[in-house]
Amino acid sequence: MKKLIAIVLALTILAGMFAGCAKKKPAESGEDVTLALVVAGTFGDRSFYDSSKEGVDRLAKDLGVKVTTIECNNENHEPQMRNAADKNQIVVCVGWEFYDIETVAPDYPDVKFIWIDNATSEPIDNVLNITYAQNEGSFLAGYVAAAMSESGVIGAVGGEDSDTINDFIVGYKQGAKYFNPDIRVETNYTGTYDDAAIGKECAIALHDKGADVIFQIASAAGSGVFEAAKEYGFYAIGVDSDQKYIAPEQIICSMKKEVGQSIYTAVSEYLGGDGSKWGTTWVADLSAGYVGVGYGDDTMTQQVPDEVKKQVEDLAKKIVSGEITVDSTRK
Amino acid sequence: MRELWSLLKTVISPGTFNQMLRSATPVALAAMGGALTEHAGIMNIGMDGMILLGAFVGVIGSYLTASAGLGVLAAVGLGVLVGLLFALFVVKLRSDEFIIGCALNTFAAGATAYLSRAIFGLSGTSGHHVTSLPRLHLNFLNHIPFLGKILNHHSVFVYVTWILVLLMWLFVYKTPWGFWLRASGEQPETLRTAGVSPERMQWLASILCGVFCGLAGAHLSLGYLNGTFTENMSNSRGFIAFACVIFSAANPSKAYLAALMFGFFDALGYRLQGVISSDLTATIPYLITVVMMVYVVVRSRRRRKKNLRQHESLGNLS
Repeated sequence: MKKLIAIVLALTILAGMFAGCAKKKPAESGEDVTLALVVAGTFGDRSFYDSSKEGVDRLAKDLGVKVTTIECNNENHEPQMRNAADKNQIVVCVGWEFYDIETVAPDYPDVKFIWIDNATSEPIDNVLNITYAQNEGSFLAGYVAAAMSESGVIGAVGGEDSDTINDFIVGYKQGAKYFNPDIRVETNYTGTYDDAAIGKECAIALHDKGADVIFQIASAAGSGVFEAAKEYGFYAIGVDSDQKYIAPEQIICSMKKEVGQSIYTAVSEYLGGDGSKWGTTWVADLSAGYVGVGYGDDTMTQQVPDEVKKQVEDLAKKIVSGEITVDSTRK
Repeated sequence: MRELWSLLKTVISPGTFNQMLRSATPVALAAMGGALTEHAGIMNIGMDGMILLGAFVGVIGSYLTASAGLGVLAAVGLGVLVGLLFALFVVKLRSDEFIIGCALNTFAAGATAYLSRAIFGLSGTSGHHVTSLPRLHLNFLNHIPFLGKILNHHSVFVYVTWILVLLMWLFVYKTPWGFWLRASGEQPETLRTAGVSPERMQWLASILCGVFCGLAGAHLSLGYLNGTFTENMSNSRGFIAFACVIFSAANPSKAYLAALMFGFFDALGYRLQGVISSDLTATIPYLITVVMMVYVVVRSRRRRKKNLRQHESLGNLS
């Protein structure tokens, strides 16, 4: 009897192994295109990740793309990327953390990858890197912050001391100094993207140092910056999405990084037959409107005077034309 | 020199101590609960999940009833349930408390994220009105320089915690219940011969721990953040609370001091970031934990040696 059970078990395991090997059929024409959105953190940040989700949701609505979403919750980036590539034709990886794409993508030559916010060291045929000129958008945000500051001190709360976050900060500082060379820019890093209480404390610590306009670059932890702004009565600047609606009285503007829009553009171009972007790095910048400053809509209190808004527009033109070069942490 | 002076001024400012009190409060509340289970001989690493559940249920309660008080009550109610569940597995069914604690943490992270999205949508509580807990503004404190600034204008639970710490200290060390509780962890069989069931004390400790962690969570979301819930917002506060419990040998008042110390170094970290790399300031809580643990080990060794010496001298006498 025991032997029988052992044999049955062994056979089951063997069968399981073969089932795992079953080759998926390549998609035939007429079938829905499948796309997986893999984000490094979790949704609900009301900025970076949520923006990417809006983009793929629109792809699903407009072009009938079949969308799956995977949240890595800050771990297992590589296996999740493989899970996505096993079952989908297009895999969009959102977050600088997916650097294993360099070894994963060559294993799936039929799958098209998009990597958001970082770039492979060498071009890979089936990987499209999309990076954003967040330094340029932050330059404009820094200009607005300096123009609105009465104390001569402004602040920034970053999620971590990394190249991407610092790319925002160098631009922000340069923009602020462009308006007022004597301005002091104080920064704090939360070291977490989830803990709003820490975001709040970081903002209060900056406010204690005199900052009266604070730029948040810390995902969901940044909602604590807005809480602090409400409580202590200073101004805040949102990030990635137009966040003004969250606290219209405190958030004077947002540095927009149109992650969703850029994914939408890349994928719809590809489905239209133009896959020329793959194998390259696309820097989505000010000129095409993928970064910029948003002020919410007309129903919300507008703290930034029209005069400053006009100057920001002029500055944007100067950056696009190359008259102003914005510093960057990227080479 | 002048720079050093201005640095010192930002570090030793009312703001630093203000933050110390704010950061310490949720940790201290959880540590009160942790102290009870520790006395009852249960190693409770599930506090982080309990806090997260409390934070979420507090927000839901306040959102549905438009009353922060009822939100806190809901969090306490859930705390009782979670405490009962914890005790069911750990005390009644004798499962490994370490595994149950881990399971609780994982469950809390998943369940709150799922329910938050089901109820509030992907973007969480923003755009939804959640009534927050009130702040206390005590006029008489304005007349005291420095200290007045530190102690005033906090969320109500910062003050409630002081009372709770005192009550817990009295409960553990000055009441028969506290005595039985401590005995249930140290000498359960002796307690049983005295006619008190150690399991009952462990059930009580678990339930109260659930309640305290529920309060910690509700304070975090409804008081500290004025009605905001974000996923994983407990961010290891339960583990910091656990460290406070171990460091204080589960003495509630010492656990509060330990929480204050963590709060102080947190506050210091955010104010030193301009000078020291943020990667280094982020290691401060872990450094303190290591230092604390070394202290705990050294202290218990000394005590053991002292006891041994006493025994020996007693042996010589007889």
